[in-house]
Amino acid sequence: MLTQLLLQVVVAVSILLSVALAGVVGRDRLSLLREEWRSRLRTSAPAIALLLAILLLNRIMRQQGRSLSQDYGIHMTEVFYTIEGEFVLLFQAIASPEANTYFSISYVYGYVFLLIFPVVAYAARSKTIDFRRLLIAYSLNYAIGLVFYILFIAYGPRNVFVEELTQTMLYDNSPQYKYLTTEVNRNTNVFPSLHTSLSATVATFAYQTRSTYPRWFPIAVCLSISIMISTMYLGIHWGIDVLAGLALAGFCVSLSTYLVDRWSLTAILEQVRKRLHEYRDTVTTASQENS
Amino acid sequence: MLAASVGLSVSTSGCLRHVRSIVNRNEVEQLSLTITTLSADGDRESIQLAQDIGATLEAAGIDIEIDMQSREAFRRSILINHDFDIYVGRHPGDIRPDFLYETLHSKFADESGWQNPFGFTNLTFDTYLERQQRAGGEEREQAVNQTLEALALEQPFVPICVPHEFRLVRTDRFDGWKQGHLATRMGYLGLDPPTTEEAVLRAAHTDSRPSQNLNPLAVEFRNRGLVTGLLYDSLAVPRWSEGGTDAGDSDDEEPNGIDEDGDRTYSPWLGADWTWNENENEDGDERTENGSGIDTDLDPDADLEPTGTLTVTLREGCQFHDGHELTADDVAFTVDFLSDTTRDDNEFPAPSPRYRGHIDPIADVTKQGNELEFTCTASEPVAKRVLEIPILPAHIWGERTETASIPAITVADGTTEALITDNLPPIGSGPFQFENRTQREFVTLERFDEHFTRRESVALPEASAETLRIRIDPRSTSAIELVETDEADVTSLALESYVVDDVLEAESEREQISDSDPLEVIESSTGSFYHLGFNARTAPFSNPRFRRVIARLIDKEQLVSDVFYGHARPIAAPVTREWTPDSLAWTGTDPETPFLGTDGELDVEAARAAFEEAGFRYDDQGRLRVRY
Repeated sequence: MLTQLLLQVVVAVSILLSVALAGVVGRDRLSLLREEWRSRLRTSAPAIALLLAILLLNRIMRQQGRSLSQDYGIHMTEVFYTIEGEFVLLFQAIASPEANTYFSISYVYGYVFLLIFPVVAYAARSKTIDFRRLLIAYSLNYAIGLVFYILFIAYGPRNVFVEELTQTMLYDNSPQYKYLTTEVNRNTNVFPSLHTSLSATVATFAYQTRSTYPRWFPIAVCLSISIMISTMYLGIHWGIDVLAGLALAGFCVSLSTYLVDRWSLTAILEQVRKRLHEYRDTVTTASQENS
Repeated sequence: MLAASVGLSVSTSGCLRHVRSIVNRNEVEQLSLTITTLSADGDRESIQLAQDIGATLEAAGIDIEIDMQSREAFRRSILINHDFDIYVGRHPGDIRPDFLYETLHSKFADESGWQNPFGFTNLTFDTYLERQQRAGGEEREQAVNQTLEALALEQPFVPICVPHEFRLVRTDRFDGWKQGHLATRMGYLGLDPPTTEEAVLRAAHTDSRPSQNLNPLAVEFRNRGLVTGLLYDSLAVPRWSEGGTDAGDSDDEEPNGIDEDGDRTYSPWLGADWTWNENENEDGDERTENGSGIDTDLDPDADLEPTGTLTVTLREGCQFHDGHELTADDVAFTVDFLSDTTRDDNEFPAPSPRYRGHIDPIADVTKQGNELEFTCTASEPVAKRVLEIPILPAHIWGERTETASIPAITVADGTTEALITDNLPPIGSGPFQFENRTQREFVTLERFDEHFTRRESVALPEASAETLRIRIDPRSTSAIELVETDEADVTSLALESYVVDDVLEAESEREQISDSDPLEVIESSTGSFYHLGFNARTAPFSNPRFRRVIARLIDKEQLVSDVFYGHARPIAAPVTREWTPDSLAWTGTDPETPFLGTDGELDVEAARAAFEEAGFRYDDQGRLRVRY
């Protein structure tokens, strides 16, 4: 069932991607990408490597960090509930089968599309800076989110408003999605909402690059707002998680701007090599002196 | 933030000391307590019960916090670390009331596991439990009634309800689901496959823990031990009384399932045969002529005289999954090991957190060839509980006696390797052997062809499926979908109450359309119950008056309809219906601690009056104040 479902997601997202790429990025840029991908890949290699490393670490730590979190994490569910009360239940006002479908699709398919599309779109620009910034912003989101997940144990609203959220609860309406989301998420990983922070990151980038991709900006904003609402509507996140997700997005976007092009990796490597040589020299002289 | 608060506390500490000496008398504060329970993803009913009860307690002026935990963490807090105020959860229960002994006897208050997690200590209560343990025949029934009545009076925990168990099965690939209880190994043996080709039995399991740990002693990971029951054999299999479902009206149950005849309570398994020899007591122990002699035995420090011996003949030629022969040595080892997993190597004994009550009445084991002789200090039906323990291979578990060590973490005394190992791969002697698993996805078991049930000469239900694939599926809704779409044959755990109505409705619709439909809903009886447990080690939960008032704030009838949609039986006694004394039978309200209010609505004035009568006070803002 999982493979079948994954296939569905892959197919749906691929269709969305090809339509959006044709409509937003344009054929010229895409064909240029086909010619230049090697050199662009080389310049962006450190950022790509960073993201892959963080994703791998994330995967390992979601398993290993769980017990760590259970032993040392701080329980926050009650705190969140005390602070925001029944805020997420406001979204139940718009509850309907259509809304269920819309938000479930946004949460599962829309999210995947929203994350993948800008990667391709920015790779298609001749300047790779936004591409690298985006990858670094993604990495930061995941890395910081992971630390928070280990530090704080909190259950989403569906565990508190059991009765009230039965109608819109994602896993009861569409139990098949449970397979997908448990692959990537544990039920105590709610603070901050990575769905929100990554969507907001993408939306901010879309704003910054609106002159290049004018059509992408409104799409990204609508989609990311839908995803944020869906996390609360479906009972997965608290309002606080979403706020924290927005803050995290702001932080990651600014930090990525600050970090990119600050250091040249080749220069660093060069420096390390020099240091090593110096060190080896001192060691050899020291040993010679000793003997 | 942290730095600021540290700075603040340093700068004010001098001042604080002065203040503290003035207010050094403990203040009478508002009672503030935490209800520990499971998250909705782990147990939907528990959290809802906790929320409803919490709201009522708040109305009565108590400050409530709800602490949700995962399945393992919950059991670790409650059963091992005893780190809770009150908790709401499900007790595995039993079909016979003997589990009350380990659950409430004060000698177990310091142990980990389902044995006295409440830390409840009461010498009078102990004598009732001991009487129940040692009495036989009609006297036993009286002793059980007495214990249950004392329990209703003292409320060491508040029994809430017994949920009805429903499971969805497909009958087109395997049939005969009603032969054994689906919460036990017998439910998955002796199924009739329509063709011999159908080699894979597929179960949808809504609990991921079997995919992480298959240690029969790990109390955090076991509910009633279904999967470990398939992997490990016991000497005998308890028979579920022929009373049918717990949900049905009591009228259509068999007149009285209480029958202590050996053949009626246990059927043979690894033990081919057994006999019970009652000790002849001339010097007047339990059995004086008029049956009243047991009162002489009320001294709590008295050594228990053996009451009889249970002689078990082991089935010959059985072996473990790794090819080692299973002998009487393994059985004797297991009994010894469960009572102390350090095997006396260590000064600090570490009894198993499971099966504690089963081996407690065993004073001595002697073996001779294929025969084992258990010297027991309990009556026949209680002593026979030893037949239910899983037989562990001595050559594997004998090496798990050391205190476990994890680098850089201090391990509590009495934490032996045996208690914390994930026991993968498990080597038992059961009808299925472990094949492989993926965490949180599936566990695959293969039929063990050397198992004695496969022999021509043995007429016991055997594994008809070559493979049992247990697919972990986190929610009832998706488990149902798997069975409906022919991806699973059975939902191996009971369905959550909130889907039961839908399932039953779908069933009746199907019946109207055609009768050849392969889906079937199976209802099973159960001894498992929801309860609210107090940590009686601390005030005010150590006070029975306090506990009684709390019990009166819980509207069990209303909770059953709100949380379980009526698919549960409210209880005043945590035992099956046949063992419930008439005085504690449910009469639409709790016979001993009736709810202070109507239809779930608390009568706040009455609650306050009850607390005040119990010796507690309220402040002018209606907050309940206690001295901790």
